[in-house]
Amino acid sequence: MSIWVDVAKVSSGINVVVLLALSAIWARNYLTFRSKHAVGLLVFGVFLLAENALAFYMYLLDPTLSGWFSTKVPVIVWRLMMLLHVFETIGLAFLAWVTVD
Amino acid sequence: MEAVLWYVLTGTRGGENRVRILKTVEEQPRNANQLAETLDLDYKTIRHHLDVLMDNDVVQRSGDDYGAVYLPSQRCRANWETVETIVDRID
Repeated sequence: MSIWVDVAKVSSGINVVVLLALSAIWARNYLTFRSKHAVGLLVFGVFLLAENALAFYMYLLDPTLSGWFSTKVPVIVWRLMMLLHVFETIGLAFLAWVTVD
Repeated sequence: MEAVLWYVLTGTRGGENRVRILKTVEEQPRNANQLAETLDLDYKTIRHHLDVLMDNDVVQRSGDDYGAVYLPSQRCRANWETVETIVDRID
């Protein structure tokens, strides 16, 4: 079971890092252009960042929840949660590719 | 085209320099070397931004040679108001 757990943890961690970088770019552009497009991207980035940071916290840091997630959660659930995070990582990788360009 | 302009110019890391390039070639078509000099940017950086702008049909190249000059595309000129709105925000 541990492979699914690890992949989910790692990809939620990667998502946090990528979203921090993207949000920083969008925040800087918002300060420069004051456009609703930049602020729209920034709001999207910040909320997706919050989602991933929360997942990361629950999986690894919270004293009660991290124990529960690593021992009591069935394999099928972990597989699906892993997929959610990995899909997001792939989507974010493409978004980063076009944004950092 | 409007959405493309907003994204390419204000949604990406290189947006600000792309705005400067676009403003400069609108005043007068220039080649990559002249742009690098005028804007005090690395030649490679200019090349990269020109490629992105061409990919998105924001600028077009006149002539195929090494020294070809770049100018705003027709689609870009048709939406020049949007570009001006964006340019105004960094001045």
